[in-house]
Amino acid sequence: MIEADLTIIMPEILLAVFAMGALLLGVYTTKDKMAPVLVWVTSALFLALAFWIGTTGSGSNAAFSGMFIDDAFSRFAKVAILLSAAAILVMSEGYMARRDLLRFEFPILIALAVIGMMMMVSAGDLMALYMGLELQSLALYVVASLRRDSAKSTEAGLKYFVLGALSSGLLLYGASLVYGYSGTTLFSGIIEAANNEDGISIGLLIGLVLVISGLAFKVSAVPFHMWTPDVYEGSPTPVTAFFATAPKVAAMGLFARVLHDAFGGVVSDWSQVIAFISLLSMFLGAVAAMGQRDIKRLMAYSSIAHMGYALMGLAAGTVLGVQAMLIYMAIYVTMNIGTFAFILSMERDGQPVTDIESLGMYSKRAPGKALAVLVLMFSLAGVPPLVGFFGKLYVLRAAYDAGLAWLAVAGVIASVIGAFYYLRIVYFMYFGEDREDALDTGTPPVLYGFLMASAIIMVVGVVNLFGIEGAAQAAAAVLVE
Amino acid sequence: MESIILFAPLLGALIAGFGWKITGIRGAQWITTGLLFLACAFSWIVFFTHSPETQHIQVLRWIESGTLSTDWSIRLDRLTSIMLIVVTTVSALVHLYSFGYMAHDENFKEGEESYKPRFFAYLSFFTFSMLMLVTSDNLVQMFFGWEGVGVASYLLIGFYYRKPSANAAAIKAFVVNRVGDFGFALGIFAIFFLVDSVKFDDIFAAAPTLAETQLTFLWTTWNAAELIAFLLFVGAMGKSAQLFLHTWLPDAMEGPTPVSALIHAATMVTAGVFLVCRMSPVMEFAPSAMAFVTFLGATTAFFAATVGLVQTDIKRVIAYSTCSQLGYMFVAAGVGAYSVAMFHLFTHAFFKAMLFLGAGSVIHGMHHEQDMRNYGGLRHKMPKTYWAMMIGTLAITGVGIPLTGWIGFAGFASKDAVIESAFVGSQGGYAFWMLVIAALMTSFYSWRLMFLTFFGKPRGDKHTHEHAHESPTVMLVPLGVLAVGAVFAGAIWYSSFFGKTNEVIKFFGGHYEEPSDALKAAVAERSPKASELKYVMEDPPGDAAIYIRPENTVLHEAHYVPTWVKLSPFVAMLIGLFTAIWFYILNPSLPKRLAENQRPLYLFLLNKWYFDEVYDFLFVRPAKGLGRLLWKRGDGNVIDGSINGLAMGIIPFFTRLAGRAQSGYIFTYAFAMVIGIAIFITWMTLFGGAH
Amino acid sequence: MDDLLREYLPILVFLGIAIALGLVLILAAVIVAVRNPDPEKVSAYECGFNAFDDARMKFDVRFYLVAILFIIFDLEIAFLFPWAVSFQDISMTGFWSMMVFLGVLTIGFAYEWKKGALEWE
Repeated sequence: MIEADLTIIMPEILLAVFAMGALLLGVYTTKDKMAPVLVWVTSALFLALAFWIGTTGSGSNAAFSGMFIDDAFSRFAKVAILLSAAAILVMSEGYMARRDLLRFEFPILIALAVIGMMMMVSAGDLMALYMGLELQSLALYVVASLRRDSAKSTEAGLKYFVLGALSSGLLLYGASLVYGYSGTTLFSGIIEAANNEDGISIGLLIGLVLVISGLAFKVSAVPFHMWTPDVYEGSPTPVTAFFATAPKVAAMGLFARVLHDAFGGVVSDWSQVIAFISLLSMFLGAVAAMGQRDIKRLMAYSSIAHMGYALMGLAAGTVLGVQAMLIYMAIYVTMNIGTFAFILSMERDGQPVTDIESLGMYSKRAPGKALAVLVLMFSLAGVPPLVGFFGKLYVLRAAYDAGLAWLAVAGVIASVIGAFYYLRIVYFMYFGEDREDALDTGTPPVLYGFLMASAIIMVVGVVNLFGIEGAAQAAAAVLVE
Repeated sequence: MESIILFAPLLGALIAGFGWKITGIRGAQWITTGLLFLACAFSWIVFFTHSPETQHIQVLRWIESGTLSTDWSIRLDRLTSIMLIVVTTVSALVHLYSFGYMAHDENFKEGEESYKPRFFAYLSFFTFSMLMLVTSDNLVQMFFGWEGVGVASYLLIGFYYRKPSANAAAIKAFVVNRVGDFGFALGIFAIFFLVDSVKFDDIFAAAPTLAETQLTFLWTTWNAAELIAFLLFVGAMGKSAQLFLHTWLPDAMEGPTPVSALIHAATMVTAGVFLVCRMSPVMEFAPSAMAFVTFLGATTAFFAATVGLVQTDIKRVIAYSTCSQLGYMFVAAGVGAYSVAMFHLFTHAFFKAMLFLGAGSVIHGMHHEQDMRNYGGLRHKMPKTYWAMMIGTLAITGVGIPLTGWIGFAGFASKDAVIESAFVGSQGGYAFWMLVIAALMTSFYSWRLMFLTFFGKPRGDKHTHEHAHESPTVMLVPLGVLAVGAVFAGAIWYSSFFGKTNEVIKFFGGHYEEPSDALKAAVAERSPKASELKYVMEDPPGDAAIYIRPENTVLHEAHYVPTWVKLSPFVAMLIGLFTAIWFYILNPSLPKRLAENQRPLYLFLLNKWYFDEVYDFLFVRPAKGLGRLLWKRGDGNVIDGSINGLAMGIIPFFTRLAGRAQSGYIFTYAFAMVIGIAIFITWMTLFGGAH
Repeated sequence: MDDLLREYLPILVFLGIAIALGLVLILAAVIVAVRNPDPEKVSAYECGFNAFDDARMKFDVRFYLVAILFIIFDLEIAFLFPWAVSFQDISMTGFWSMMVFLGVLTIGFAYEWKKGALEWE
C-alpha cells in the first residue's frame, strides 16, 4: 500500500532528496563555488525527470487515498514545468555569475519551488493543494529578494510575501468554508457535496469564490495582479523569467484541477467569475502595458494579459477549453523563455538595461537577434501565421463553442490593443533612434541559443504545434468528465 | 495549333516584360514580334483549313462552384477564325512597325530608361487578351479577355506616363469602359440567373425560351431576351465607343500611334461588334433591343462624322472616323445582317490600321507634329507614305465601280453592303439616311486629311518641314501589307460575307433549307423586285457561328434594293470628294470664312457636341465632390477621427488610470484584492446558482 | 452535517468561557481598582531610567531570526505531542513518517547552524 503510494510520488521524492542533499553538501563544502555545477546538475535532473514522467507515466493513479493524483493532466503540466524551469535555470547561470548573485541556494530553492509546483498540479485534496502552493510560494518569496543589497529586490520580495500571505489566508479561509460545508477536503468528496439537486450551497459557493481568489493571485489575474509589475521589476531578471513561466503553468494547472476535479459539477457557477476575471486581465494587461518603458514591467503586464487568455479557456469549462488552456500555456512559456533570453542579454557595458528605448535601431547592429525578437513579439501579439496566433485561436474557439462569444470578441479587441506595445518594441528595433549609448551586441551562446530556438519554434511550430495538441487533448479529457 | 496562337503572345509578353534583362532589349523586341508572326501564320492556316462545324478545344478546367461550371476552352468557328486573322495580322504588323516608330522617344531618357521591352510586352499582352476574348467559349472567359484588353488599353494609353494628358486619357478610358462593363456584367448575371450556365452552347440553346420569359428588373417587367440583349449591348457600347460612351476614344489618341492602330482602330474597339455577332442567337430574339442598336449605331456614325469634319489633329480625325465606322457595323448587326457587320469589321481593320500607321509615319517624319494645319505638301517628302494613305482613303471613302457591288477597294464592298442592308432593315428610314450622310462626310474629312497633309504648300514650322523625311523600311513594310488588304479584302471575300444567302450560311458553318411558302409570300410582297427567296438557315441557334432566323431575310433583300440606293453611297462619296477639292485645293480660304460665318455650328462641332463638358458637369464633378466628401468627412473625420480618438485619447486615458492605480503601496494592492473579493462574493451570492 | 458541527460544540463552549473570563478580569480591574494618576506615575520608564528614545525603535533583525527558529521547533513539538500520545496505536508508517519529518527538520537545522544563523556576533 504505502509502497505503491511512494512509487507514484517517486519523482517528487527524488527531487526533494536531491534538494536536501545538495543543501547539506553546499553548506558543508565549497559553498557558492559549487553553484554553477549545481545549476547544471539541477537542470539536468529536471530534464531527466521530465523525460521520465513524459515517457513512462500512464493511466490515472491516486496515492495517499486520493490526496495525490498522477494522471495525463498532471504529467502534461509537470513536463512543462520541469522543462521551463530547466531552461530558465540554465539561462540564469551566466547572468547571475556575472553579477555575483549566484548563491548555491538558488538552484536548490528553484528545485524546492518545482517540487511545490509538481505537488500543486497533482493535488487531489485541499491539504495537498495548500502544501504544494506554500512550498512553491515560500521558495519564490526568497528568490525574489535574492539580491539582498538592492532595495528594489528586497521590496519585491517583501511585497510578494505580504500579499502572498494575504492570498494564502483567503485561500485557507475558502478551503475551510469548503471543508465546513462539504465535510471533506478530498476533491472527490467535494464534487459530490457540491453536486446536489437544488444547486450548490451558499457557503460552498463563497468558499469557492475565495479559493478562486487565492488561485487568481498566483496566476496574477486582475484584480489580484497588483504585485506582478513591482515584483517582476524588482526581482533579478532570471527570477523574473522564472516567475513568468513555470509557476504560471503550475498555478493554471492547479486552477484547472480545483475547478474541474472539485467543482466540475457546477461549471455554470464559476464560469462567469472566471470569464469576468479573464476579461479584466486581458484588457488591463493590454492597456496598462502601453505606458511602460521598462521591458520587465512590460512583460509583467504582458503575462497578466496572457493569463487572461488562458483563463478564457478555463472559463469555457469544456474539454476543449482545458485543452486550449494547456496549449496556450505551453506556447506562452516557450515564447517567454525566448523573450527573457533576450532581456537577459540586454546589457550596456556589462550592466543590465531594461529601458525599451535603448533598443533604438538594434536591427542594424544585430540583425539576427532583432529578427528573432521580431518573430517573438509578433507571436506574443498573436499575429498569424506564428504559433502565438494558434494559441489564441484555440482559446477563442473554446470560448466561442462554449457560448462565450462576447468573451471571444473582447479577447480579439484586447489583442488588437495589446499588439501596440509588442510592435512598439519592434518599432524601436527597426525604426527607432540610433542612440549613442547603444546596447552591447555580444550575447552569451546559451542565451543566443534559447532566443533563436524559441523564435524558430514560433515559425516552424505552425506545421503541427509539435504534436502537443494530442497530449493536451488527452490531458484535458482526463480532467473533465 | 489554336493553343499556340493563343499563348504565343502571352509567352512573348512574359519574356519581354520580365526577362528583357536576359534577352536584351533587341531580343525582347524580336521574340515578341517573332511569336506574333508565328501566331499570324497559324491563324491564316486555321482560317483556310478549319472545318465549318464549331469546335471546342479545352485548355483547362477553370471554375467549378455550385452550378457554375466553366472550362477555359477555345471555341473555334468562322467568327473566331475571322477575328483570329484580323487580330494576329494587324498585331504582327504593328509589332514590326513599332521597331521604327518607337526607336527614339523624347518622352523617355534615351539610353537610361528601357521603355521598349515594356511597350512590346504590353502590345503582346493586349494581343493575348484580345485572342482570349475572341476565342472564348463562355461569357466569363470572354469577360476575362474583355477586361484584359481594357487593362492593356489603359496601360498603353498612359504609356507616356509623364504626360498628365496621357494619364488623364488613360483614366478616362478606364472609367468610361467600366460603365459599359457594368452593363455587360449585369447581362452575364442575368443570363446565369435564367439559363444557369455561362457557356455559349447552353445560352444559345436556351435563346428561344428566353424570348418567352419575363423578368422583373428595376421594378419593371421585361422580356428576358430583350433585357439581356440590351445589357450586353451596353457593354459593347463602352468597348466600341458608341454614342454616350464614346468620349474616351478620341482622348485615347494620347497613346503611341501603333497602339492607336492596333487597339483603337482594328481590334479592341471592334470587340463590341464581335460580341453582338457572337450573341446573334440571342439578339435574333430581341427585336426591340436590335432596333435600339441600329438607332444608336446610325446616330454614332452621323455624330462622329460631323465632329470629324473640323478636327485638326490628324489622329483625332481618324479616331472619329473609327467611331463613325463602328456605327456602321452596329447598324449592320442591328438590322440582322451579322455577316455584313463582320465584313465591314474585317475590311475596316485593314484600311483603318493602315490609315493610322500612315498617320504615324507622317507624325514620325514630322517630328511628332500632329496638327494638320502645320502639314502640307508632304507627298514629295514621303511618297510611299503618301501612296499608302491614298489607298487607305480610297478604301474608307468607298471607291469602286458602282452597281457591280464588289469591284472596288475593300471599303467600297463592305460599306455599300452595310448601307444596302440598312435600307432594307430600316425600310429606307432613319438609319439609311444617317449612313448616307455620314458617308458623304466621311469622304469629305478623309480627303480633307489627304489634301491638308500631302497637297498645297508647306505650312507651320519651316525647320520641321525641311527635316521631314520618309519613314524607315521597317515601318513601310506593314503599310504595304495592309495596303494589299485594303485593296483586295473586299473583293475577295465579298461573296462569303455578302453573297447569296446560301453562300453566307455555308461560310459561317451553317446549313440551309427551303423556306416555307408563307415566308416566301411575305418576302415577295415586301420586296417585289427581289427574286424568290430560296434559302433560309436550317440550324437551330448556336450550331453555326452566327444565327439568322428564317424570318430574317435582310441579307436576301439587300441585294434587290432600288438602283438609287445602290448608287447613293457612291454619289455621297463624290460630293464629299469634290467639296474637299473645292475647299482645300481650289479655294483654301473658304473653310476659314465658313467657320467664321457659321461660328456657333463650328464651335459646336469643334467641341464635339459639348459631350465632355456636359459629362464633366453631370458626372465628373458630382463624383469628385462625393469623393472629396467621403475622403475629407467620411474617411478623415469619421473613420480616422474615431480610430485616432480611440487609439490616442481613450486608451491612453485608461493606461494612465492603470498606472496611477499601481501606487507601489502594499495597502493599495491589498485593498484592490479585498474589493475584488467583495464584488465577486456579492455577485455570486446574488446571481450565482446557490440555494 | 449537524453531527459534524456537534463535534465542535466543546470548542464553542471553551471559546465562550475564555471570552467571558477575559472580560470579567478586565472589567474587574476597571471597576474595583483604585486610580490616583499623577505625571510621574503615567510616564514611560525603562528599568528605573527615563526613556532614552522613542519606544518604537528598530530591533536587530537577529531577534526575528531567533523568533522564527523558535517557532519552527515549537511547531515540531506541537506535532510530536499527539504522535507520542498515540504512539501505541500508530503503524510503522506513522513512525517512519515522523522520522522523515524530523530528518528534514534536522537538515534545515544543520544548514542554519552552518550558515551561522545561531551566532549572535
